[in-house]
This record gives sequence, structure tokens and C-alpha cells, in this order.
Amino acid sequence: MNLAAADEARQPSPTDVPVPAVDAAPHEQDVPWRHRHLLDVDVLSADDLELVMRTADAMREVLDRPIPRVPALRGSNVTILFYEASTRTRVSFEVAAKNLSADVVNIAAATSSVAKGESLVDTIRTVEALGARMLVMRHSVSGAPYLAAEVFGGSVLNGGDGWHAHPTQALLDLYTMQRQLPGGTVAGRKVVILGDVLHSRVARSNIWSLTAAGADLWLCGPSTLLRGFDAWAVHGAAAGRRFQVTSSIEEALRDADVVMALRIQRERMASGLLPSLREYAARFGLTRERLALAREDAIVLHPGPMNEGVEIAPDVAVSAQSRITDQVTNGVAIRMALLYLLAGVRDGG
Amino acid sequence: MAVEAPGDLGRIVAELDLSRVWAVDPAAGREGSADVIVRDGRLETVTWLEGQDADGVDARGVVVAPGFIDLHVHLREPGNEDAETIASGLAAAAHGGFTTVCAMPNTDPALDEPGVLARIRGVAAASDSPVELLAYGAVSAGRSGEQLAALGELGDAGVVGFSDDGAPVRSPQILRNAMAYAGMAGLPIVDHAEDASATEGAEANDGFVATVLGLRGWPASAEVSAVARDLAILEDVVRDVPGARLHLTHLSTAGALDLVRLAKAAGLPVTCDVTPHHLALSDEWIAGARRWAWDASTDPWADGALEAPPYDPSLRVNPPLRSPADAAAVLAALLDGTADAVATDHAPHTEVDKAVEFGLAANGISGIETALGLLLAAVDAGRLPLARAIAALTVGPAAVLGSRSRRGRPGLSEGSPADLVVFDRADAWTVSAAALRSRGRNSPLLGRSLPGRVLLTIADGRIAFEAPGD
Repeated sequence: MNLAAADEARQPSPTDVPVPAVDAAPHEQDVPWRHRHLLDVDVLSADDLELVMRTADAMREVLDRPIPRVPALRGSNVTILFYEASTRTRVSFEVAAKNLSADVVNIAAATSSVAKGESLVDTIRTVEALGARMLVMRHSVSGAPYLAAEVFGGSVLNGGDGWHAHPTQALLDLYTMQRQLPGGTVAGRKVVILGDVLHSRVARSNIWSLTAAGADLWLCGPSTLLRGFDAWAVHGAAAGRRFQVTSSIEEALRDADVVMALRIQRERMASGLLPSLREYAARFGLTRERLALAREDAIVLHPGPMNEGVEIAPDVAVSAQSRITDQVTNGVAIRMALLYLLAGVRDGG
Repeated sequence: MAVEAPGDLGRIVAELDLSRVWAVDPAAGREGSADVIVRDGRLETVTWLEGQDADGVDARGVVVAPGFIDLHVHLREPGNEDAETIASGLAAAAHGGFTTVCAMPNTDPALDEPGVLARIRGVAAASDSPVELLAYGAVSAGRSGEQLAALGELGDAGVVGFSDDGAPVRSPQILRNAMAYAGMAGLPIVDHAEDASATEGAEANDGFVATVLGLRGWPASAEVSAVARDLAILEDVVRDVPGARLHLTHLSTAGALDLVRLAKAAGLPVTCDVTPHHLALSDEWIAGARRWAWDASTDPWADGALEAPPYDPSLRVNPPLRSPADAAAVLAALLDGTADAVATDHAPHTEVDKAVEFGLAANGISGIETALGLLLAAVDAGRLPLARAIAALTVGPAAVLGSRSRRGRPGLSEGSPADLVVFDRADAWTVSAAALRSRGRNSPLLGRSLPGRVLLTIADGRIAFEAPGD
């Protein structure tokens, strides 16, 4: 992997948090991480976020090695249980776990006894009995990982639940922004999340992490796909977690530092939320002309998979401003960091 | 207080001397310190104490009131006896202080013809419970919303009204015809007001909490528009059929209650009930807050109120727990009489149907045993007068039922068959699976302490419930 070019802007940060030496097993480290599960980012403090970012730095260093592998989780079983189709998140977790020398079990729910009507609780008990110590889970119903966490004896990592949360995506987004922005911080930077916010677990998790990190966050899309977020913005402002909500793409993109386009799904037309994808692309698609409203050095992100020509123009997706492939690589580092940190809690306590 | 009544369930109370208690007589509109004596199943004397005799007796201790009436319960038998049986449901009712319950017809088979009614009456009689079991018939055959059920025959057999609760009648024509037909017998249509086309896939009240938790929004407008439709149809029907009546059950939104308030002022024959959970809880419980609705702020994430894990499936209910503002409107409707009654919508479910993902869990709360506690929490907080709470559990629902209940106008008149609940407001109890008599342990209040332990429930002169250890 060629990672060297991407991050010239970032200097090694002063280490306010003790960063683990990731070649060693996590329980041999004294790391200030107390969360047994990672279900969402809403419970992470500023110090927690900093620790994840710095641990991810250490994992990026591992990824740059000729053999990008450390023995930290040797002998530990990481089970990846996905109730929804996914390629990139599932493979990213798998690569991350293997880079830490964990044993990886992959379960696609469609091929398991789930298809025969087994309950989630029974499935979790079964995978635990089969030796799972860390469970990475994706589910189409919001909140499902919280149920899993109640019955599972190890650690649960949420790989995306319904519309609710996708914490590793939000953390890799934050990490990618920090590495790319001058000064290494999103504080005060204008970050725009553009598109189908209503159905997006990525947007929801990013609201928590980006407001905690002090970004000037904007959500933009057609009003039907922003339902309820104005109220959240009002509550958030009262609680010191400010963000803006608008359907004016010009207002949102003007002088932006980061633009993240979200996938728009064909089903949204059938449910009457949009007249057509064509109209969506014409009014809210991230085109080169619209991107020109943002700062010259603005970066473009997308959690994938992309519908090129709908929410993002093909030339924007592959432009010099795009950091979409960096997101993928950083995703492996972030997931390695989280598997590592969570394993330390389990082993330690 | 001295309980001298020996206590086999179902046995006639030979003698019971309740001295120096706080008696509430909603029929007479009176409450105060009293000595209450029951003999041979009858309320023999109620002696109101005055002056020095009343010293040291107040409404914060042992309370005696007429047994409660629940206009809305699901007893699940026949068809889903794993969730509840008639016997367990009546035992739960008595534990909650209820001596009359009205069962919804969404059993399997549905109560859409008199044979099913005869069957459940037989089961109730065999249970030896003295709790009065009344029943609604279905509006439509098989609750399919397409063809009228046997309304006339069901009425003759003694149902107290008609409802397709849980699968609300979609067709305005069917609803109109049912209202008119049932109106010949003066029986109400009891509607679960929900425009189902507006709530497809909905998981939680459409609002801030649902937005943050990524739950599909359940809009208040789906209830408001259904109530508006029902009232408009009622207005049409009563012109032709003066006996037509509409009862709206478990209203949960400020908008729907406003419409009922206006309709009542206009003289329409409409009544409604609200549930204890829509009054005392709000949607922030789904986020993990555990404070009463009247104590809620607008943002549980901001003020450290989240103390339980989110997405507890026992909080999934239809209509959904609403915003704290809606809960305040429910309380206001109870206070000003817009809401005639408190009904529990007791909806027991099995673990199989409830211990699943929030969005896949069955709707409903097992609530008949915690209703009094939730109302007393409001009373303790100074939000609800005790007498109003008791009235909404007794004379309020009795007026909706009219002469079809043996209860008449519930009060404490001497010489009548004893139908009483005795509870101690100073004695809290902890809700637990073991403490519940219902088979449905699907309560969001498990582990929580509630005020007002029920000590004794007497139905029709017989013991329905007696607290262990007395």
C-alpha cells in the first residue's frame, strides 16, 4: 500500500494521551480506555477520541511495514456477523483483525440459521459458545447492537445499525479529515454532509464526533431527507453541540473545507421522498461547478458505495481533491485501533 | 387498619374492619377519614370521621376506594395463552386494584360472534376470580375491516361495545355503518385512532428522540387525522341514529385531545380514555432516560438523564410513547375531564415476541399492575389530585359502560356488594417479574419502585387479591 504521499500536512502530534505500543498485547499496556463496547460515538469523550486517533497513527505505521502485521490479538476470536450486505466495511474489519493476528470468523446472516428464524439473542449466545470474544455486527434494525451487548460476554463493535450509527465510519472520517487539514484539526473547519441525511447512520454518528471535535458542521439535502434534524440542531445548540441544517446547497458549500457526499438510494423515489434521481442529481449532486464554491483546497469524502453521476459527479470522485481511497485505508487503521483498545478492556477486566 | 378477613381467593368476605383509613367515594364526590366495615360481602357501614377522631389520618396512608374499572385490556385467550390467560389476566387485574375489566376482541379466533363470548365467559367462571370480565366484540368479521361482525347478536349476548383495536377500521364506510348499527343498541364503537397508512414501519414517536436514535418516525398527525375522521363520521351518524356513540381509546397526542375537547363542547356523544404510560412516561425513555414525563427536559442527552441502555423493547407500544409535551397534554385532558377514563391497554407478550430488536418487537406494555403506581407518582408529584385519579379509574369508565356493567356508579354506598381496593400510599413496592401476576413481564418498570402497594382487592363481595404476608 502506498500511503506515504497522503499525509505530508500532518506532523506527529504532541502525545497528550499515552499511546499504546501496538506490537505488544493490549492487556500488557496501561491505556486509559474504559469502554467495553463500541456501539456509537455519543459516549466518547474528547480524550477518548484523541486516544483512538493516536492509536490509529500507530496502526498506520504498522500498515506501512513490509509485513503489516502485529501479534497483538493472537489467539483471540473476532466474529464478524453481518445481517446486511456489505463489502467494504466487512472486509475492512476482516483485514484489520487479521493484521492484529486475530482468528476471524465471518458469518453472513443470510447463510446462517438466522434465515431459519433464529432470534438475535440465540445467535449471539451461539457465536459466543463457539468462541467469539469480540463481535463485529451489522444489522438493519436501529439499536440491534445494544441488544447484542446485553447478552454477549465479550465486546461488541457496531459495524452499522439501521439508520442509527456507524461509529467506525465516523471515526475514520474524523481521522481522515485530521490528517488532511492543515493544522491537523477539524476545529473551526466547515464540514458539509450532503445528501440523504434522514436514512444515514454515517451522518448521525458524524454529528456526535464532529460537533465534539469542534467542527463547523453543516447538513444539507432536500427537506424530505432532513426530516427531524432541525429539531436536533436546536437541541444540539442548547447543549453546546452546534450544527447547521439547510436545503441551500450554495449556502452549505460556500467556503467549505470538507464536503462529504452520502449515497442516495433508488428506493427513496418509490417512497415518495424524491421526484427522481435525475432531479436529485441536478439539484444536490456534487459537481465540479458546485465544488468550486468551497475552498480551493477543500477535500471530498464519501463513505461509499458511490452512485457516480447521482450524488457525486465521476470527475469529482477521482479529482485531486478526493480523499475517498484514503478513507478506505484509514478505515483499516481505525478498526485495528478500536479492536485493540476494546481487547485491552476485556483482557484487563 | 385491621384486616380480619381470612383470605382464600374468591371467598366471600365475612368480616373486614378498615378503621381510620382515607376513604374516597367518587360517586358522592367525597373523600376523607373514615371507618369502613364489610360484612358478609356487603359494605355495611362507612363512618366519616370528624374532628379529633380524624386526627392522624390523611390521604398519604391507607386508602380505600371502589374497585377500578379498566376499559382496555388484552387477555390473549383464546389463541395466545403463552402471553396471558383469562385466569392470569384477572389475577393481574386484581393485583392492580381492578375489579372490572373489558377485554379486547383480538383473540384467535377473534370475538366476532357470540360463541367466542360464551367460551371466554366459561373460562372466566372456571377461574373462580370474582373480577368482572366484560368484553368488546369485533367491528368487522375476523377483524379484517371488510364486513360487519355479528353486531346485533353480539350486542344481545352482552358485549359492551365494538372495536377492531390493533387493526383499526380503514374504510370510512364500514366505520360509519358500524357506528350506526351499534347505535341502535346504544353501544359505542371503541376506536384505536390511527391512520395506518401514515405509520407503516413506524417505530417511535416522530420527534427528537426518534431522529437521534434513527428510529422510523410515528407521526402524531396519524392519530390526529384519524380522530378528526372519526368525529366527522360520528357527527354525520348521530343525525340519523341518536344512540350512536364513539369512544376513542388510548389517545396520546395533544392534537387529538384538543379535537375531542371541541367535539364534547359541541355536544357530540364522544368519550375517550388515556393510558398511565402515555401520562407518566415519554419517548425519552427509549433513549435511556428514566424520569417521569413531568420531570423531563427537552434533551436527555444534554442533561445527563440517560441511565439505562437505549432501545428497551418493552417500551415499544402502539400508540408510541410521545414527547413530554404530549404527555403533559394527556395529563391536562385528564384534569379537565376531556379524558373520561384511564385505561391501561394491558398488552402482555411473551419473551419470544419481546426480547428482540426494538424495531421487531411486538407492540404493547403489560400495564394493569402498574397503572395505580404510575398515577400515584403523578399524585405524589402534585400533578394530579388523588380524587381525580380515582374517579378516572371508577366513575369515569363506569359512565362509558353504562348499565352493561354490574358496577353501576362506583362509590361507597352502604349496603351495596363490596367492590373495593385498599392500598397503602406510604408503602412502595418494586416491580419485578416475580411480583407480576400477569404472564406478560413486558414492563419497562421492572426493577423500579412504585408508590401504593395494593393490600386487598374485593370484587362483588369476594376476595380477588390479598397481599401476601398480611
